[in-house]
Amino acid sequence: MSNAKKKEMIAMLLAGGQGSRLGILTNHVAKPAVPFGGKYRIIDFPISNCVNSGIDTIGVLTQYRPLELNAYIGNGQPWDLDRLFGGITILPPYMKAEAGEWYKGTANAIYQNIEYIEMSRPTYVLILSGDHIYKMNYKMMLDYHVQKGADCTIAVINVPYEEASRFGVMNTDENLKIHEFEEKPANPKSTLASMGVYIFNWEKLKAYLKADEADKNSENDFGKNIIPKMLEAQEKMYAYEYKGYWKDVGTVESLWEANMDLLNPDVPIELNDPPWKIYSRNGILPPQYIGENAKLKNSSISEGCNIDGEIENSIIFPGVNVQRGASVKNSILMPGVTIGADTVVEYTIIAADTVIGSNVRLGAGKETLQDGKHPEISVIGQNIIIADDTVIPAGAMVGESISKKERE
Amino acid sequence: MSMNVLGIIFSYADRENLRELTKIRTLSSVPFGGKYRIIDFILSNFVNSGIQEVSIITRNNYHSLIDHLGAGKEWDLTRKIGGLRILSPFSNPGGTDNGTYLGTIDALSKNMHSIKRSLAEYVIITGSSFICSIDYDEIIRSHIERHADITAVYARPRQDFELPDAIPLLRMDDQERVNELCYFNDDCDPDTTTFSLGMFVLRKSLLESLVADSVAYGRYDFYRDIIQRLSHQLNIRGYEYRKNYFEISSVSGYMKENMRLLSENVRRQTFEMPVYTKIKDSVPAQYGAGSKVSNSIISDGCRIEGTVINSILSRGVVVGKGAVVKNSIIMQNTEIMRNVSLNYVILDKDVIVRESRQLVGHETYPVVIEKKSII
Repeated sequence: MSNAKKKEMIAMLLAGGQGSRLGILTNHVAKPAVPFGGKYRIIDFPISNCVNSGIDTIGVLTQYRPLELNAYIGNGQPWDLDRLFGGITILPPYMKAEAGEWYKGTANAIYQNIEYIEMSRPTYVLILSGDHIYKMNYKMMLDYHVQKGADCTIAVINVPYEEASRFGVMNTDENLKIHEFEEKPANPKSTLASMGVYIFNWEKLKAYLKADEADKNSENDFGKNIIPKMLEAQEKMYAYEYKGYWKDVGTVESLWEANMDLLNPDVPIELNDPPWKIYSRNGILPPQYIGENAKLKNSSISEGCNIDGEIENSIIFPGVNVQRGASVKNSILMPGVTIGADTVVEYTIIAADTVIGSNVRLGAGKETLQDGKHPEISVIGQNIIIADDTVIPAGAMVGESISKKERE
Repeated sequence: MSMNVLGIIFSYADRENLRELTKIRTLSSVPFGGKYRIIDFILSNFVNSGIQEVSIITRNNYHSLIDHLGAGKEWDLTRKIGGLRILSPFSNPGGTDNGTYLGTIDALSKNMHSIKRSLAEYVIITGSSFICSIDYDEIIRSHIERHADITAVYARPRQDFELPDAIPLLRMDDQERVNELCYFNDDCDPDTTTFSLGMFVLRKSLLESLVADSVAYGRYDFYRDIIQRLSHQLNIRGYEYRKNYFEISSVSGYMKENMRLLSENVRRQTFEMPVYTKIKDSVPAQYGAGSKVSNSIISDGCRIEGTVINSILSRGVVVGKGAVVKNSIIMQNTEIMRNVSLNYVILDKDVIVRESRQLVGHETYPVVIEKKSII
């Protein structure tokens, strides 16, 4: 590939995880392909961030259930990544002459794609994951990395002290130089949590990846192996503090919360931001139609919807049908869902193409629990049918169709 | 079969009075149905019928059309073989004309250099005054089966449809053979109401020779000089289109036709096949706590805090708190501030209506506010 252009920095996006804590939502798709925010998928955020930061070469490492993700990314055209040089490339594990193997860990996934990275001869490599919602300018982070003369820069976010023990925590000096990294410490010494966004000098990283691969005891993981090894060797590692909105959407609860954040004007994530658009693959659908019986309140509704019921504090994805008399509150309806007449949906996530009959009750009622907490979120799986008059309690996870007969 | 067809679209129409709406744009780039332009429906028919080579003949004010279409990516017409070509006005080398066309035949003739280059066997010619959902494959099939020289697509007036002045009517025998053409309100047989949809199918080689012949005699009008004059020499057949159509030639008609999309049946017919348009990556529509929306079409990127009834909103429209929008068409990125009241109004793109303004038109004469106005 001698004709490929040299790139200053390319991105490697780790998108192979199952995201098992999302339960039935990831039965058919990898976590990065889970729908988010009314018309997006989680992976649209890191990809759009790259494109908006001027990064035009992205390798997407896939492993778990890649078909839908592959089809979604396609040639990268929706993100302007159908490029003459670079663009977006799906990188599944593959056979090599001596052997072939699955990606054993995050570091091993990058190790197995050293050849891909070398095609662009980058000076820096940006490592990203596909499970966070945030808008971040990686170019500013790179400028910081260069200015600090760092070997590795890790993006961090200041979290409340009581939450710090859920994250990988960076202990730094006053210049943000990292001297210690602790994975989920019981007694955190700092509140700077790693966002899973790293910039490495490529030659340096390559050397550590090769050494890590040779180490039989290594778990081949960035957080557990590469970062500690580099710290041990006294490499110049800096934390880059990010101050905007950032949310891990690895659980049903946090996925629901992050969606609801979009409806809350007090939460600093605004997607209607023309210079920093989040791009996505759009379906070919007509505009939405709002019927005569609709009542809409503090909600986000997408193309192709047909709404004749009541929608409040909810995120409605493209092509959803809500029939007359139905009421949807504090819920997320993914693409192509149908809600029958007089059905009540509360605190529920319904996955794509599922049909809910009429007069069904989903999720817990309006009454908020004590201490201001909301009821448990129910999840209804993809492409199933829930028969008329079914009642599904709060916190339930339904992965199979429910017919009238079974219920009785 | 469709690989063998070249689509030719006239982006403009002579028989059109859309006032402010076409002052700054050509007919085919007039917005319709919320987020679409008229051209989207026409191109989508071609693409849905498997036709991958389309030329658009433009005359004036086609800047917005070029802006909208780009390289044709969204219509899947960025192709190595065929694809989309926008034919801008062209004056014959050494000629004294300045690129204006003397008529449809003249326009075809001046773009013949491009049409001749196509390897297609058939051409489908269409105007931009009608929005249909048509399967061209079927028309080509009928054209071949009946050994027609030209197939002219026609329709009958639907119940609530008044024939617009000067619309070409086709008189046919019981075999649908066209034997006379006349214009509505002229010296026409009052029983003839089958009107032309401005769509014709013929062999490209026939088109080439008909155009060359006509130009040689200084004849420039496709209807009069080909359909009418040659109706006895050529086998010109009518093909009846029976589904929903929208006709756009006047402002009140434009309003009425848009509003028909609020009927479920019309929407279903219009969007049965995908209709492609430019993708803007707008966010989903946001409805505030005080919003009240009823019987309306709303596009992505809208932010609605007020009331919207029986209206059609294009992408990125803002409706402020306390504002009431009724029976209106609001185009892209227009902002309606607090407590504004609108009834039977068409607001073009990028208009700002300041707080508490009131604009009232009538069904028969909607108020039209030009692009980028500040009221």
